[in-house]
Amino acid sequence: MNDEIGGNQRRARFQALCQSLRPDLLRFAFWLSRDRALAEDVVQESMLRAWKARDSLLDETAAKPWLLTIVRREYARTFERKRLPTVSVDELVADEEPMLAAAEEQNISDVRAALMKLPDEYREPLILQVLMGYSTAEIARELELSGPAVLTRLFRARQQLRAACGEDLSQDPQE
Amino acid sequence: MMDHTQYRSATMADPHDPDPDLRAHRESCAECRAFTEQLLRFEARLERALLIDIPTKPVVLPFAGRAQGPRRWMAMAASLLLALVVAAGVWLTLPQRSLAAAVVAHMAGEPDAWQLTDVPVPDADLNGVLKDSKLRLKPAAGVVSYASSCSFRGHKVPHLVVQTQSGPVTVMVLVHEAVRNPKQFDEQGYRGTIVPVPGHGSIAVLMRDASSRSGDVERIAARVSDSIVWTP
Repeated sequence: MNDEIGGNQRRARFQALCQSLRPDLLRFAFWLSRDRALAEDVVQESMLRAWKARDSLLDETAAKPWLLTIVRREYARTFERKRLPTVSVDELVADEEPMLAAAEEQNISDVRAALMKLPDEYREPLILQVLMGYSTAEIARELELSGPAVLTRLFRARQQLRAACGEDLSQDPQE
Repeated sequence: MMDHTQYRSATMADPHDPDPDLRAHRESCAECRAFTEQLLRFEARLERALLIDIPTKPVVLPFAGRAQGPRRWMAMAASLLLALVVAAGVWLTLPQRSLAAAVVAHMAGEPDAWQLTDVPVPDADLNGVLKDSKLRLKPAAGVVSYASSCSFRGHKVPHLVVQTQSGPVTVMVLVHEAVRNPKQFDEQGYRGTIVPVPGHGSIAVLMRDASSRSGDVERIAARVSDSIVWTP
């Protein structure tokens, strides 16, 4: 009986933890996949995996990076499992048109459209840095890259985004 | 000694890098300072662009296989109820964090509002901004040097700058954003608080970190809150 109560309490606690992190996880999954429905599926599956692997989370304060790693792996697994068809970026942008149009201002929509077209290798470290607050070292660890490689990707990500949004690049350094 | 190219390459990779060498170069080089300001304006847009809206939905985990029959259904019902209660609780507290981030992101997009000035906006302009939210401001609030009706999370909200002894203070009246408790935040160079206004959502008050002393924001938030008159 006590075991059952303890189990329920643990489940409720874990559920609350997942609930509080769900917006961040969904945003992360969305910007990885650029597909809202796929992001929902990936996050739901990730939470189930996380629940099964809950014993490996020793420190609750580390739950967010732990869950983000699970989401990344689940997203990669989805590709392997379902062999998702390759979709052109223009189709992705068109599919997410309501989200892009829902932006408060045109200049935010422009950035979102540019993000959708940014290559994965640049978009992922940028999301981790800007949205998730990861340091360069943390991104390097998560993506299994060197620190300089991460910095190069972040540099190129911003350069491409700013160019796509019509920003003045005349003062930018050349690589 | 760092040159322009090194500085700009490093800043483009991480515009918020607190490295002292970067800071020293920025302080000694007007061109790189201007470059950084341009980059930070874009960064604010980027941060806002990444914050897509997420609909609330309770997380439901799988049930353990121990309970059977009617007991299982009772356990499922209890668990679902618990999930909804937890979701409701989290929903009441979670927006405070994302709300603070959204307020800070909004600030970064309007750098011109922060000018130190004693010139008030014309009463007609101020009242025009406030009337949509059905409120007016008593003179005790202080000199309002900036007033704009801004789009914020799907609603038009008054964005004001009040001049105080501690410098310009931004106030956003968030009629559509209810919070349960006051929430202090210190993010990206801004120090602020979001305080509940029973029956009228909340107000966010924030200052630039360098110009604020401990307790300033809370005192000003209380003063502004007391100066608001809600109109029918």
